[in-house]
Amino acid sequence: MNAPIIDPLQGDFPEVIEEYLEHGVMKCIAFNRRGTLLAAGCSDGTCIIWDFETRGIARELRDKESVAAITSVCWSNYGHRILVSAADKSLSLWDVVNGEKIGRIVLQQTPLLARLHPGSSTPSLCLACPLSSAPLIVDLNTGSTTVLPVAVCDLGNGQTPVSRNKSSDGTPPFSPTAACFNKYGDLVYVGNSKGEILVIDYKSMQVHAMVPISGGAVIKNIVFSRDGQYLLTNSNDRTIRIYENLLPLKYGLSVLENLQSSANELDGVEKMKVVGAKCLALFREFQDSITKIHWKAPCFSGDGEWVIGGSASKGEHKIYIWDRGGRLVKILEGPKEALIDLAWHPVHPIVVSVSLTGLVYIWAKDYTENWSAFAPDFKELEENEEYVEREDEFDLVPETEKVKESDVNQDDEIDIVTVEKDAFSDSDMSQEELCFLPAIPSPDAPGLQEKCGGSPSKLLDSNHSGSPLSEVAAHNGQGTNHELSPLEDDAGGTQLKRKWKPSEKGLELQAEKVKKPLKPSKSSGKLSKAKSKSVVDLDTSNGATGVTPLIE
Amino acid sequence: MANTNTQAPPPYKPYRLHKTLRSHERAVSCVKFSNDGALLASASLDKTLILWSSSSFSLIRRLVGHTDGVSDLAWSLDSHYICSASDDRTVRIWAARGSFDCLKVLKGHSDFVFCVNFNPQSNLIASGSFDETIRIWEVKTGKCVRVIKAHSMPVTSVHFNRDGSLIVSGSRDGSCKIWEASTGACLKTLIDDKDPAVSFAKFSPNGKFILVATLDSTLKLSNYSAGKFLKIYTGHTNKVYCITSTFSVTNGKYIVSGSEDNCVYLWDLQQKTMVQKLEGHTDTVISVTCHPSENKIASAGLDRDRTIKIWVQDS
Repeated sequence: MNAPIIDPLQGDFPEVIEEYLEHGVMKCIAFNRRGTLLAAGCSDGTCIIWDFETRGIARELRDKESVAAITSVCWSNYGHRILVSAADKSLSLWDVVNGEKIGRIVLQQTPLLARLHPGSSTPSLCLACPLSSAPLIVDLNTGSTTVLPVAVCDLGNGQTPVSRNKSSDGTPPFSPTAACFNKYGDLVYVGNSKGEILVIDYKSMQVHAMVPISGGAVIKNIVFSRDGQYLLTNSNDRTIRIYENLLPLKYGLSVLENLQSSANELDGVEKMKVVGAKCLALFREFQDSITKIHWKAPCFSGDGEWVIGGSASKGEHKIYIWDRGGRLVKILEGPKEALIDLAWHPVHPIVVSVSLTGLVYIWAKDYTENWSAFAPDFKELEENEEYVEREDEFDLVPETEKVKESDVNQDDEIDIVTVEKDAFSDSDMSQEELCFLPAIPSPDAPGLQEKCGGSPSKLLDSNHSGSPLSEVAAHNGQGTNHELSPLEDDAGGTQLKRKWKPSEKGLELQAEKVKKPLKPSKSSGKLSKAKSKSVVDLDTSNGATGVTPLIE
Repeated sequence: MANTNTQAPPPYKPYRLHKTLRSHERAVSCVKFSNDGALLASASLDKTLILWSSSSFSLIRRLVGHTDGVSDLAWSLDSHYICSASDDRTVRIWAARGSFDCLKVLKGHSDFVFCVNFNPQSNLIASGSFDETIRIWEVKTGKCVRVIKAHSMPVTSVHFNRDGSLIVSGSRDGSCKIWEASTGACLKTLIDDKDPAVSFAKFSPNGKFILVATLDSTLKLSNYSAGKFLKIYTGHTNKVYCITSTFSVTNGKYIVSGSEDNCVYLWDLQQKTMVQKLEGHTDTVISVTCHPSENKIASAGLDRDRTIKIWVQDS
């Protein structure tokens, strides 16, 4: 993305499993904004942060309190905080950099989904969707919760909503209601069990618009694309629907309020529907009409061009990929372990899926060699091209060849310091984004670093950063260094001998030590100009005394 | 200097010799200022690395551990760690403060390791070797993440671009190639003549250009996406050794390079004219480094010299 030579057309969709990550039993995943870190919540209550570039663990967020299985993870906008919801009804907020818990709130019910407010880097609000009641707005500082309205009739018409569920005694339907923030967090979009999308201003707890979905099936997931232009809903009727967001990204609330006031002649539900029609427009519907799959964890790709939905029916691990126009482009099939969560990398064509066994699979494009990359003037042709020779091509001295000037103006100014803004500078970058966690090399075990079993090693064992070494340093160690070097050689030989296959390697290295190739790196330039690769051999003749005649 | 710039460049202030540091027993192969400007590290064929204070230039510590000469070193982003490439076929990671321990020894190359560099996030290290491969190592665990069969002759330099997505490598086989860091795929070949060998390659600070040194005494600045050489710098001598060059951006834009005629050359980046020749070394100047914020240059000399010279501008 930053580098113009990476082919933009390659940013398609993944095809094969590239790798898998294993650590405990992972249940849910979330990428940070740039996709450099992947947070995974486990069944034992720890949240693991993977460094996606090295595919290693960067940090583990755990403490004695968090022991219940994690149901969802969510990053703050710039990656400084993570919100974790767990099966013991709690929400925990962690600081990513120092790995410490900032706060913990216990709700009345287990939240299945928790989302931090996207507007700031240290959000104080979050959205929680509990197991069997309406979504809540939770204030992370005070712990107070406000229940969001889930039906237009809640506005106070006094009528009890007609429940579509089997329970006839008027108790709230036992199905999680889905909700999400819009891109800048000024509105909450709720998908309720009657198949309606409600647009709510959570500050006033007012429903401003309503969009009914035909068929009225319970909405299970509702999620925005990264750029906030498209909204996706997943319903019980096994259909994924894409809506285009007609409201502007910023100030959507004020536009909404204007629309409301302009539709004043209508009332109640009708008014909501009219306003709703101006907020969202149905764009596409995806379903598998043959197998009628219940979709799991559908979401958009980073650029919003693709939509993926997972299928776990009959314990399978399948990922369906559609382009935004509605065509199914690929079905990725994984091992026979039911799929439970899915995420598309924000930047690269990589998809990460979690299976029931707790493994995280990384799907990426199949790597094909780009042959034109190997020669500077090589140009790949899409198809055969008719070659028309130049007028003077077959002349003995072609005119055009004489003028082999580079068409580059060598006097042009070059700017080597200005950096272009990349695609991520979409929000006000007043805060620094946390892109990666510092990698601290974990020290090798002392045994691996020992130079030699006997006493000479004490002088060189770096674990003893005590007197010998510091003496060397303090004295600008010219004299002492000489003393150390012969020991070092022997020690080196024995140490390596012990670590690797004893006889072979040790002897090889001992033999090489005798040759003592001095400065082969730099001085062999002269030698290898003759295209000779045998640097060591040449040095044998010179190196015996320890001084290279080449230099002197 | 008649130029078409909208604003006149600052008048050039010449550098003068400030200090000579003599502590290495053998040729110094590489010098680098840390990213925070506090320290200067030098590597030598005497198998050690030395850390100097970059204000007083007193010796802080000698890092001992390699069993053969050290050819290259690199600082991590936070200046807490140094990695070094050695003829003993290993790359070592050292703590540059506190214990000054050797934290990790990365083994895997089958021949001398010649060049090494951290990626900008400093969670990966790329190393180029005489075994013609580039290896990418994970800093945290020391695991070799990838082996790229990059060239057909020793790899002379590796460098990550600004966001760590690309690696540029130069080799004695005359080619300079760009690789995608995450997959190891070859994205572009800049030059592919068998002769002369590419002795050094690095990205510009903004990652848009590549500075390539070849063993025909030429330095070229290339816009690698278009594949064109935009500027050529000559006047120095570079036919044998892998001399490093660098950008000086603290007070006007210059290209700085060592040379086999024992001098340090400075060229104006835009005009390509040589603005100064720093004399004083008694052998080839193999490595140069510019302080990240102050107008200081450090240069290192080979075996007949064995010193590091610090050059400053008169303020």
